[in-house]
Amino acid sequence: MSTKRFSIKITGASGQGINSIGEMLAKALKNNGYKIFAYREYPSLIKGGWSSYQIEISDLELASSEEKCDLLVCLDRESFYHYLPTVDAGGVVVHSLIKLKLNETEPLKSGARINEKKYLEDNKIQIEFIDAIAESKSKWGKGIFANTILTGFIWKLLGEPVAEIESELSTFFKNKPEIIPTNIEALRYGYERTTELKQFKLDFKKDNSWQDSYILSGNHVLALGAIQAGTRAYYSYPMTPATSILEYIAETSHQTGILVKQAEDEITAVQLTIGSMFAGTRAFTATSGGGFDLMSETLSLAGMIETPLVVVLAQRSGPGTGLPTWSGAGDLNLAVNAGHGEFPRLVLAISDVASAFIMMQLAFEFAEAFQIPVIVLTEKQIGESLYNFKKFPLSLPIQRYLLNGEALKTVKSEDRYQITESGISPRWLPGSSEQTYDANSDEHWLDGSDSEIAEQNIQMYEKRMRKLTKLQKQLPEPVLYGNLDAENILVGWGSVKGAVIDALAEIENPEKFAYLHYEFMFPLRTNKLNDLVKKGKKISLIEGNYLGQLGKMLQAEIPELKFTDKLLKFNGRPFFVDELSSYFSSK
Amino acid sequence: MMNTDNSKPVEFSDYYNPNIYTWCTNCGNYGIHAALKRALVAENISPGNTMMFFDIGCNGNGSDKILGYRMHGLHGRAIPVAVGAHLANRKLQTIAFGGDGASLNEGVNHLVHAIRSDYNILFILHNNENFALTKGQASSATETGRVCDACPDGPVESSINIMSFILAMNPSFAARSFSGDIHQMTDVIRAGIRHQGFSVVEIMQNCPTYNRYSGHEWYQKRVYDVTKLADYDKTDLKAAQNIAQDLKEKIATGVLYEKPRGDFYSKLVNRKDYKTELVEEVKAGEIGKLMEAFR
Repeated sequence: MSTKRFSIKITGASGQGINSIGEMLAKALKNNGYKIFAYREYPSLIKGGWSSYQIEISDLELASSEEKCDLLVCLDRESFYHYLPTVDAGGVVVHSLIKLKLNETEPLKSGARINEKKYLEDNKIQIEFIDAIAESKSKWGKGIFANTILTGFIWKLLGEPVAEIESELSTFFKNKPEIIPTNIEALRYGYERTTELKQFKLDFKKDNSWQDSYILSGNHVLALGAIQAGTRAYYSYPMTPATSILEYIAETSHQTGILVKQAEDEITAVQLTIGSMFAGTRAFTATSGGGFDLMSETLSLAGMIETPLVVVLAQRSGPGTGLPTWSGAGDLNLAVNAGHGEFPRLVLAISDVASAFIMMQLAFEFAEAFQIPVIVLTEKQIGESLYNFKKFPLSLPIQRYLLNGEALKTVKSEDRYQITESGISPRWLPGSSEQTYDANSDEHWLDGSDSEIAEQNIQMYEKRMRKLTKLQKQLPEPVLYGNLDAENILVGWGSVKGAVIDALAEIENPEKFAYLHYEFMFPLRTNKLNDLVKKGKKISLIEGNYLGQLGKMLQAEIPELKFTDKLLKFNGRPFFVDELSSYFSSK
Repeated sequence: MMNTDNSKPVEFSDYYNPNIYTWCTNCGNYGIHAALKRALVAENISPGNTMMFFDIGCNGNGSDKILGYRMHGLHGRAIPVAVGAHLANRKLQTIAFGGDGASLNEGVNHLVHAIRSDYNILFILHNNENFALTKGQASSATETGRVCDACPDGPVESSINIMSFILAMNPSFAARSFSGDIHQMTDVIRAGIRHQGFSVVEIMQNCPTYNRYSGHEWYQKRVYDVTKLADYDKTDLKAAQNIAQDLKEKIATGVLYEKPRGDFYSKLVNRKDYKTELVEEVKAGEIGKLMEAFR
């Protein structure tokens, strides 16, 4: 068990309200000066199944979860089967399962994953039954206060004063003030309830300035980054884990004035987007792998007509429908290769909230500066986890790279696809001049008119591709975290960063390791990695996919690159901090 | 954002593009382009104030034979890309073009949803009853059993009466014309430009090379203009649906149906107080208040 964090898993079937308990606890803990990170697992269904809301508590800023937990709260039997094996030695289980019969047979009865009785005994795990629904019914005539009772009870186990959770409960129900008094009663009842269980003591330094910190999901911050960048239209078709971006931008559209259209399909969503970008506003779309497949023809179009385009690809585990509500990072190859023909593109990968905010701004910046499609990769793990942080990163100035003023008076139609050294040609918006052009997906010449003349075709093709060379030069090298002189280098991208960096902060031997993190995925910069290879460092790969997709891209650039270890995970779960701590400690 | 120099009346020659036409002799597209230019000139809309979105097909090959801000995009996608551009800048006239293949085969979903969404753009549907640019394969508008390229026995599928299909979607504007009547095409295109909502203009188009069944002369003998009917009520959807069915004997043309009901954008509650277009609003967003909700 990590001494740097405490983790609570609240588990139950979908529809049992575990998210409300989780959210209330998370906010109250934050308001109490702790730093938290919350992670959700849930099935692709509306009612039933098993799901969890896990809160990590620490005095360090966190960006990952443990696989194990210190306190498990269980509201249904199926969750008990699945999550009991994740309770750490010396942990506590609180459940409301009437007549729970622990599995104690070998081989196991169907459903149970372990010999539950033996597991509890071997690991000295305390377990207590609270019939919260019955208690709620006996006190207030109905069962709906059960979750509030449990919330109060958990709060007591954490050893925190009752006032803070009370005030958070009032905030939580502020739109239904009539139900607050009884819920407060239920909360106090749960808090004051007697118990045989040991009381934990959160042994972390409280930071009072942290009370003002934010708790946001990666998708919220991604949307805020896009709003910061001047997005005025959002087009999308619902698909997990991108749906919460649509929900958030729609919910706030009265404040922002952003035009939101839920399109009839992903093809429409991306076509609406490129149409709006062609006309000259800033718009984007987001989807997951399956929807992105449908968008690939439009990426190719954007490459050809040199019109900026921003598409967010929120990854889940594939192929096919895959694990719709679970995480993954198996779409790097897709982002880099989608679309027919050859054309310059930029692929960015978000790794946490700070990166989500910056990357969305950079996506628009690069898309417009280079007149190319930009694909922003994120993951369910980033998009739907709740990060706790104090400050938003910097906002970047908005530049449009458009002709205006005097330049528009002398512009000619033939300037639009002018052959330039950088490959970037002047762009001006429809309506800004009587010198018009054809954004032509057929191969074309200077004003966009069709051309099948080989010499012109070569020049135009090379002009477009030169943008890739210029772009690559402008992109930064990956960042090396940890001991810069370490012998062991782990290379990765995406949500992996949070787990690796958190693990390095928790292990005994962090000086032995460094982590090289990629956010600019294509075109790749490999000078820094190449230097490390030349110095003879032991390089290992960590990715949320089977093939080691980034690894293969890097090896194509650096043939001498051999990976000492490959940590590849493709079961829908993110990398957990405890599994990485064990890996590092074993080295 | 709009080119503000409207002092000079727009002329037909303003739309002249020196590129050489690549259509067959007697192709219906010549007449359609002539009518399109005439309509834009009559409405005093300059090329700099027009956005045109062309599909893939023979009509799409006209994208560089006219002026205006044009996109020659992907097959079946002219409507959604045009809508995206229109929503960003409604000060410009937006027109999308697609053939029967693009509108009823590859991109039929877009047509359905554009009609129910009421985007304020004009859509010109070139119906020559075949895939002409790929040399005459059957489209969903090709008559059952009509022998054509890659289909030696003719398609066994039933064919779609395009106007009946459009009228079944409850449009707010639907017109039909044929490529041999430049005057009528000009009139219905003008009416489509003026209509506030999604205007579909189906043009039954001569294809001298691949459609030997229904050429200009064939249409000329059968078409009649509904505006010439004494008691035709173009706000009566049932009447339009009835009159649109006959594609064999007497073919109804003109504005068959028009009933304005407000366009998509004007119904958006969160855009009600905005006087600006989306293209004019790109600046750093104010996220301070939004962030406060997450403390």
